[in-house]
Amino acid sequence: MERNTPISAAVCVTDIWKSYGGTPVLKGINIELLAGQVHALLGGNGAGKSTLMKTIAGLVNPDQGSVTINGNALTYASPAAAQALGLYLVPQEAHILPNQSVLENICLGLRAKPRALRDEAEALLRDLSVSLDLDAQAATLEIADRQIVEIMRGLIRKARVLILDEPTSALTPHEANALFDRVRQLQQQGVGIFFISHKLREIREICDVISVLRDGAIVLSGPLTDYDDRQIVAAMTQTAQSTELPTRIARDICFDNRDTVLDVDSFSGEGFRNISFTVRAGEIIGLAGVVGAGRSELAETLFGLRNAKSGDVRLHGNALTKRSPRDCVDAGLVYLPEDRQQNGLFLEASLAWNMSGYTMHRLGFFPKSGPEATAFDAFRTSLGIKCEGRNQEAGRLSGGNQQKVLLAKCLAADPRVLILDEPTRGVDVAARNDIYRLIRDLADKGLGVVLISSDFDEIEQLADRVIVMAHGHQCGELDGNAITVDAIAHLAFESGGHPNA
Amino acid sequence: MLDFFARNRVATLCAVTVLAFLLIGMAAPGYLSLSTASVIMSNSLVLLSVSLGTMLVILTRNIDVSSGSVLGLSAVVLGIMLNNGYGLGSAIAVCLLAGAIAGLINGVLVTILNVPSIIATLGTLGLFRGFMLILTGGNWIEELPQPLKALANNGDIGISILTVVVLMSLVAVWAFSRQTRFGRYFYAVGDNREAARHLGIPVKLVQIAAFVAAGVLAAIAGIIFAAQIGFIPNQAGNGLELKSIAANVLGGVSLLGGSGTVPGIFVGVIFLTSIDSALVFLKIPAFWNDFIAGAVLLLVLLLDGRVRIAVEKAIRAKRYAVHDPAPHPAPGTNPASEKNTRTRAQETGE
Repeated sequence: MERNTPISAAVCVTDIWKSYGGTPVLKGINIELLAGQVHALLGGNGAGKSTLMKTIAGLVNPDQGSVTINGNALTYASPAAAQALGLYLVPQEAHILPNQSVLENICLGLRAKPRALRDEAEALLRDLSVSLDLDAQAATLEIADRQIVEIMRGLIRKARVLILDEPTSALTPHEANALFDRVRQLQQQGVGIFFISHKLREIREICDVISVLRDGAIVLSGPLTDYDDRQIVAAMTQTAQSTELPTRIARDICFDNRDTVLDVDSFSGEGFRNISFTVRAGEIIGLAGVVGAGRSELAETLFGLRNAKSGDVRLHGNALTKRSPRDCVDAGLVYLPEDRQQNGLFLEASLAWNMSGYTMHRLGFFPKSGPEATAFDAFRTSLGIKCEGRNQEAGRLSGGNQQKVLLAKCLAADPRVLILDEPTRGVDVAARNDIYRLIRDLADKGLGVVLISSDFDEIEQLADRVIVMAHGHQCGELDGNAITVDAIAHLAFESGGHPNA
Repeated sequence: MLDFFARNRVATLCAVTVLAFLLIGMAAPGYLSLSTASVIMSNSLVLLSVSLGTMLVILTRNIDVSSGSVLGLSAVVLGIMLNNGYGLGSAIAVCLLAGAIAGLINGVLVTILNVPSIIATLGTLGLFRGFMLILTGGNWIEELPQPLKALANNGDIGISILTVVVLMSLVAVWAFSRQTRFGRYFYAVGDNREAARHLGIPVKLVQIAAFVAAGVLAAIAGIIFAAQIGFIPNQAGNGLELKSIAANVLGGVSLLGGSGTVPGIFVGVIFLTSIDSALVFLKIPAFWNDFIAGAVLLLVLLLDGRVRIAVEKAIRAKRYAVHDPAPHPAPGTNPASEKNTRTRAQETGE
């Protein structure tokens, strides 16, 4: 595997074409990654980033063109062949073998026995400054730890080329920083890295070179220092109006006189204790904290997916005692889950059917497709869902559009309180701006919104009031202009005592 | 304790089996003897061999319901060759080959032609049985030569060559699946096929290998069957496919693929077979067999399910208890009413 060549092309992609069912996805892509380079790859949803990376990793067979890894051509699409040439793709959605141990998950497919690689794995974990039980069954891992397993797979293979597809989307800022340190180390060792991210801040932090994809073609490419953020976003989105970088829009509204729509009083359950807050009509409450702070558990308990231990929940002044998802939906409380692939969408069902997910019990014994079609078309225009039609399978949409379909599903239930759990995870800049705009519009219409996010920028931009949670406790509240990324981070990391900090 | 049984389905089943043996031994003196053990062992051989093959297929998240017919077909191939004067060695070789080819057909249907395994093997269940009947012309194969029957004779210590062969296959499959890299692939492919593909594992080859191995093991079962009863009826192996799946489930093999062990299969099969012999000792009419076997199977699975749920609950409570007290002494975050056990749980939890 070790090759002591001078700085040379680690990956060379020449004139790749690929189309799915007549729709071209990649239109003659040429891209080069040098050894020791961190190459940022940006693009909107459906721009072709994933297809391009899958082609390089041997998961997709291109119609035309060639891929060369470390000087050897990848002659046929096979992940095994690509890995043999020293490349590993760390996918955005971690692939986990639930019944195997973490160690086996990491070492699977390698020649050496897992036992022999144990020390090495432990050393790598220390470098990443994460604690992960190598003997735990992988099924018990949280989404962030699954991502760590994927990253570990790439590292332990001593790959000369790594593709990191939004590696930080599930990590805490602390873990993300440790990952970046590791990336810099690898870069020193001459490893070439493709880094896919939607966060310009991250890209600025560790990348040297940037390429922007739009509609299957590279529209901007060169050293990162040559471009400012505005140019990059403009290249991605093309249209001028959405190039505005998201900023905090202060909505100086006094909510004191508004109706209280959701009242949570000393609420305890699995993973959180003694949480109290209120949401007023039209207010966006940010629920900030790091992964594992108990926010998703709180949301799932509110929505009746988990059993509560004690405490009261009132919706519009009426006690919500019997909580099941269906009761909550009917009462006007709707939850947008964190993991859209697992809990949000019916990936193989049509978009219209997905939209009706929360309202199926209202459709009658013989659901009629007419009203459903009208409703879907309305959401399609209002939310800007890019799709072939309402009968398309949800799994074939890009991340941002899937998220919009999920939002349509929530809105179809006509909620009065909406709990959004990480609504922009794995969503590109343009779609993210769309979603931000939608959330503000909804609040303007009088909806109470609870926004759960680990992205403190996002909270800063959207929330009217912020509740910070750490280790299952409510550890602070910020209001109005006091809402800054620093203030949130201070509360989230320090008051609870972060285990790794 | 509870934890141990939840992690070890095999241990649960072992405990239940031992308990059952003791109870039956008390009710029917003379049951607990070496000769009973020898009878149970030789009665288990056919099912053991078939179940072992079925396990390999189930591990890769497929299912094989054609094994009963593969058994019949390969036994008939063996019988025809022997009765036409071929030697025992060559007849056994061709019989095993027939099983391998049958398995290969299943494997190709499932992996290359992308037929779901339940449908593909349901089809070949009929196909192989039909082919067997065509070969025999619908007649039983009788008067098998003595050398074949001799294989089933128990030696001085009550163990036949067939027993040795089956035990050796058990050990071989166990070593293969636990110790070799290719063996681990079986688990990986069944656990998450997409992940296995991403990691460069030859997913299709692994699945085909599982089907071929299942075919060969069903053929071995066919040889045992023919040697033990000395003739081959048309319905040889009928219904064994479901019995072997039951033994797999009983032995803790997940039908969703990716988990299961050879010792589990062994205990599962012994348990199922010992029910039959116990009923004889308890002087219960033979027509009760299926009813009791079914009831016991359900009972064990229910028990196992309850234990699992209890343990899962305990794990959940422990996992979320981590968040209850503040992990580091932080001022004013928490009342000081925590128990020591909690604090310890949180330390190990992190």
